[in-house]
Amino acid sequence: MSWLPDLFNSARGQRGLLLTPGQRQSIAFWRQLPAADMTRSHTSIRYVIVDVETSGLNMKKDCLISIGAVALVDGKMDFNDTFQVVLRQDQVSAHENILIHGIGGSAQSEGMDPVEALLAFLRYIGKAPLVAYHAFFDQAMIDKAMRRYLGMEVGQTWIDLAWVLPDFFKYRADGRVPLDDWLRLFNIENILRHNAVSDAYATAKLLQVAIAHGVHKGADSPASFIKIEKARRWMYESR
Amino acid sequence: MSNSATEMLVSASIEFLQAYPPFDRMERGALEFLGEHVRLAYYPKDSVILSTATGVARTLHILQRGKVMARQTGDVSMLEFSSMTLGPGECFPIGSVMAQRPSTNAYTALEDVFCYELPADDCFSLLQMSTAFNLFCTQYIASLLSQSRQQLQSQFSQRVAEQQTMNSPLASIIKKEPVAVTRDTTIRKVVEVMAAGRIGSMIIVDGEQQPVGIFTLSDVLKRIVLPGTSLDNPIHSVMSPGPHTLPLAANAYDAALAMAMHGVRHVLAVDEGGRLKGVVSERDLFALQRVGLRQIRQSIDTATTIDMLLQASHDVRQLSLNMLAQGVGAEQITQFISALNDTLTRRIIQLNLDRHDLFGIDWAWLSFGSEGRDEQTFSTDQDNGIVYICTDIMDREHTQLRLLEFARDVNADLDRCGFPLCTGKIMASNPELCLTLEEWEEKFDYWVRTPEPKALLNATIFFDFRPLFGKFNLADRMRLSLLRQTKGNPLFLRMLAGNALSVLPPLGKIRDFVTDTDPQHPGTIDLKRYGARLFIDAARIFAMAHDVAATNTVQRLKLAAAVMNISPEEAAAAVDAFNFIQLMRLRHQHSEQVQGREGDNLIRPDELNEVERRILKEAFRQARKLQQRLKLDYQL
Repeated sequence: MSWLPDLFNSARGQRGLLLTPGQRQSIAFWRQLPAADMTRSHTSIRYVIVDVETSGLNMKKDCLISIGAVALVDGKMDFNDTFQVVLRQDQVSAHENILIHGIGGSAQSEGMDPVEALLAFLRYIGKAPLVAYHAFFDQAMIDKAMRRYLGMEVGQTWIDLAWVLPDFFKYRADGRVPLDDWLRLFNIENILRHNAVSDAYATAKLLQVAIAHGVHKGADSPASFIKIEKARRWMYESR
Repeated sequence: MSNSATEMLVSASIEFLQAYPPFDRMERGALEFLGEHVRLAYYPKDSVILSTATGVARTLHILQRGKVMARQTGDVSMLEFSSMTLGPGECFPIGSVMAQRPSTNAYTALEDVFCYELPADDCFSLLQMSTAFNLFCTQYIASLLSQSRQQLQSQFSQRVAEQQTMNSPLASIIKKEPVAVTRDTTIRKVVEVMAAGRIGSMIIVDGEQQPVGIFTLSDVLKRIVLPGTSLDNPIHSVMSPGPHTLPLAANAYDAALAMAMHGVRHVLAVDEGGRLKGVVSERDLFALQRVGLRQIRQSIDTATTIDMLLQASHDVRQLSLNMLAQGVGAEQITQFISALNDTLTRRIIQLNLDRHDLFGIDWAWLSFGSEGRDEQTFSTDQDNGIVYICTDIMDREHTQLRLLEFARDVNADLDRCGFPLCTGKIMASNPELCLTLEEWEEKFDYWVRTPEPKALLNATIFFDFRPLFGKFNLADRMRLSLLRQTKGNPLFLRMLAGNALSVLPPLGKIRDFVTDTDPQHPGTIDLKRYGARLFIDAARIFAMAHDVAATNTVQRLKLAAAVMNISPEEAAAAVDAFNFIQLMRLRHQHSEQVQGREGDNLIRPDELNEVERRILKEAFRQARKLQQRLKLDYQL
């Protein structure tokens, strides 16, 4: 009956009953931020690279446990401009799942209040384009949590490296290349696999590679990456 | 903002950096500062990371993944091969960031490259914060070299942990206040003091406390009792004048070397003012040595047969190995081997003189090649010759025959004592190399005036000559006329320089080292041919061009640098590099011999550790600098 509390919560979230005035103000502040100009060059925009850990791979049933993110500014990674949060869970995720992401039961129940955690995430990302590998999953899990706890649609721009990268390399033609294959190809280390920050770090290095090669081929802005992703999806789906 | 994500990424970066110098020795706080202030950048293969055109270097780059090629640009770009490859853990451009000037090199990614970038301002903060980093940057080369020495030392020290090192300064070896008397003290008084204090040696000093002589117990018998000298005579009438002195800062090794070279048992330690501070006896050094220096020296000096010398030559080798194990530097070990081998050779010559009558001939035994340069390693063959004076042309043939007969015996005995016969027949028994002074001068003159390949090759062997026995002034005269000839013949020096430049340091453009020049031994570098010789050849040309009489490469570099406008730091870097390569050769020959193989000079860079590889690279870069100087000087 795991859908029950979900239903209950989202109902309350939509009514905004549980949000304090301060929290609502935070959301309003975020909404007022100017949208990022996606046509600016890679080196004059801030990218946020995101990775999430969840209680499982079922986007409907499972829930968000942790978010890790790093940023690229001027195409470079600054370790001080990073983000990590563990969301407090009402229900600790299954044992096998803990083994994957390594966030133990007590850490899960001691995590940050989900509302505060998601507000912190909003403050961190601003209106920056978000980047992930197989982004639909990260996007879905984050959007779902945003709806449930903040009662809002974020509507942030996401870029999926799984679609963009193959355009620059003849390595594999579709979006089904496992992340690890790319990491091996570019000799990118993963500090701690299935840790949201570590995966975000590795993905960020991959984005650096994509940017450098993209510029070389005329794809010099987030907008051009988005265009590439769309075209590839379309090609793939209309096959 | 500091959070758990920052912590994780910073500590992962620190962990990476700690695998490489100088970060492996960097203080924890400084490492954290570094980790928090770097930014991670990516450069695809073939992109330019930094060039002269980028302007003042504002960022220190620390390679994380991939390789970068540094290539000299600007005025010196006419020199080919002026490039080097950098790998993970290496920093650039250290000098330019420190000096806040544009980089003199262009840095290009050879592979996909990830690197940490530290803004110059943070770099300066780090310099303040970390002595390890400060040392690394300001003494870029020197620090690398000393690390290697420490490392080599620690590798061996396990085996000889119980032995005090030969590097101890004399100040730490001297245990007692020196006992001294003035010149006019009576013999009686001196002997009384020695007997009462159970002192083996008495030092005689002048009014300024500067030692003027030494008197030992063994002198009592020979100089007083047997000749019946009056005990009321002043001590200066029986003392050995001109005692050997060393500054207090000299080390045990220096004392050992002085004893070996001069055949004395005591060395006096003096302060800056030349005043007596202590006495070091061979006995004091015994504690530091497994194989006694004096024993070897004595067994050589008293040997009456070649078999006895054979044993001594084994001991020389053993002693040198011990010194290697104790971390004594290459320069000192090679000199040490040379000094003891000299003693050995002299004794062999003396023994043969008993059987050959050379009375009435002025002659000298000459050493060539590495022996002539005082740079012998463990594996060394003979390179020698004879110079003599022939006043009457009618006697020449006869005199030469007598000398040749003598030389043949000496060469054979040297062979038995571990100095194999020279395959190139560079031996005194070769009539071509047993010549009168005039003939030698003519030979040298001919090589200098007609510098064909064979002559140039000869120059690299024979011009490094040194007298070992006999009339040393003959060799001095040879040197004078040689320097006169070479100085007045720039073409010869230019040809010699061209010859020296025909072998380049084995630095790879892509890989660190070129290891495939010898198809018989892939994966190796011949450290003699592609290492030591580059320095030796350059130093020889510098010396001959600038009237430096020394034959030793280190001496030549130091003395020539002074007149060539090369800074002492630069000269020291070249000397350190040369010494490092020599040390690698010694160590390699040692391990080869331990495994019962003939010592060669082929080392495998793959088997070196990270520090050694980088220092070797740096050493080759120093060789290249010397070669570049030759190119400029001789417009090659």
